[in-house]
Amino acid sequence: MPPDSGALVQSDDILSVRGLNVAYGEAKVLFDVDMSVRPRQIVACVGRNGAGKTTLLKSIAGFLKPLAGSITTGHTSLIGRKSYDIAKMGIKYVPQDKKVFSDLTVRENLELGSYATRDYNWDRVIVYFPKLKELMDRKAGYLSGGERQMLMIGRALLGSPKVLLIDEPTEGLAPSIVTHLRNVFSELSKNTTLVIVEQNLPLVCAISSKVYAIKEGRIVAELADPESIKAEICERYL
Amino acid sequence: MVKAFRWWWGILLAFSLLAVARVFLPLPFVNEVVIFSIYTMGCSFLLGRVGFISFGQPAYLAVGAYATAFYLFYFGTNPYIGILLGVVAGLIVSFIVGPLFVRLRSDYFALVNLALAVIVFYLMQKVLAGITHGDNGLWFLTNIASTPLLDLGKPDHFFIFAWLVALAVWAFYKYLDDSIYGACCLATKINEDKLKFLGYNNYRIRLLAFVIANTTTALAGSMYAVYLGFVSPEITSPARAADPVVVTILGGVGTLYGPIVGAFAYTGMKDVVSKFIGNWELIIGFLVVFIMLAGEKGIWGTLQPLLEKLFFRKKAATVTADSTEARR
Repeated sequence: MPPDSGALVQSDDILSVRGLNVAYGEAKVLFDVDMSVRPRQIVACVGRNGAGKTTLLKSIAGFLKPLAGSITTGHTSLIGRKSYDIAKMGIKYVPQDKKVFSDLTVRENLELGSYATRDYNWDRVIVYFPKLKELMDRKAGYLSGGERQMLMIGRALLGSPKVLLIDEPTEGLAPSIVTHLRNVFSELSKNTTLVIVEQNLPLVCAISSKVYAIKEGRIVAELADPESIKAEICERYL
Repeated sequence: MVKAFRWWWGILLAFSLLAVARVFLPLPFVNEVVIFSIYTMGCSFLLGRVGFISFGQPAYLAVGAYATAFYLFYFGTNPYIGILLGVVAGLIVSFIVGPLFVRLRSDYFALVNLALAVIVFYLMQKVLAGITHGDNGLWFLTNIASTPLLDLGKPDHFFIFAWLVALAVWAFYKYLDDSIYGACCLATKINEDKLKFLGYNNYRIRLLAFVIANTTTALAGSMYAVYLGFVSPEITSPARAADPVVVTILGGVGTLYGPIVGAFAYTGMKDVVSKFIGNWELIIGFLVVFIMLAGEKGIWGTLQPLLEKLFFRKKAATVTADSTEARR
């Protein structure tokens, strides 16, 4: 089946993935992945390294071209759209590597986010990440891992995105920062939809309303019942 | 306030030195330095801000020079109109080849531009020899009409004009550097994917940078044409393809004063060294290798921290205190 480039899907989902197949050259990575995300949900994708979680987020964000399947937001297909168009539509990807624009200051990094979205109201960012206010004139290359993550999420928040795709946000961060991010995600979900790829099962189980377990490129479990969203249950599927 | 003072102090000093150089140094040398610095500003912007190394700058230099030369040789006498036409020609050519070239990665970008320089060279030398007069070139010094205020036919008047143009171009690049577009250019150099995450179209950013840089180069070409009153295919010779890159590296990649310092050093070395040694390019080659091994900062990149320490010691101390406070 060729990638769906124009199909309109009638749905209440803010993000809907159907039958998604993605490959890197000859190596197929995702197999018939289905996912649905409702507005203001926190949806987590869990899985071991190499399961295909990042590939899923990158496909949604427009960085990878699927072999088959559909990705829609509301009534609009995302397949075939450029990554910057998808970002402009309010679906923002926060990558895993925490690489900021190291030669630019924190202020300039935020200005880049503002200019792209024409949203110059940084108060919301500062409310979530007050530490950034102190670091405005520091080169982003001199920030710690946690500060970089704050900057990346803060920058993505400009323009009030409708969906944030966040890849491994807590990887390598101190426990105090992880706790802070957990609180921020819970607060953010009051206005924004979050899709988080994460290996920290206690964290995702504490904040998510739905969890997809991915194994070897396939969705092996969809946990939507609060009773079933527990770290030990998720662990069974990985 | 301190930052603004420092900004104006820098520009004032750099261009005052250029003006003073006019008094103490031969006029042809100073004129060449000023034009060469304009020529290099575009290359420095491409390399320092966008990360594109171009060995095809002579092609855009020739476009500007020949557009001006055609006008002054065949059609008119006003040098200002000639320069304007050269800039417009540079703009048009940049918009024609830019959409194709900026899609390429930096190494291929360098080579495709070099290929363009070769194409333009042979077009001017052989294919269009009927109108370019081939290697004999176009001579139009006597066609250039006297103009009120600044008569560009006179070298001393030309120096004032070139100095003002260089100042305007420098201020324009300073404005770009401080603008959000300048940050976008730097961001696309650092990591273009990350910029896409924010909703930016890297292609458009790079295309605009390409057009700006090469239009500046065409402006330098037009000024060469008016200053010399002569243009030949030698201006786009592939043998000279690396000149602006060398001057950019010599001055300091991505620095605003680098092109001025680099042009001064390069032209000076060329003039001084060539008096004693026939193969002066050999010395320049060794010098570039030395500068690269010494830390890739170029002359200005090395001098800048020393000068800042010397003239802004107090401010540096304040910044250090602030950073220490912030770390606490």
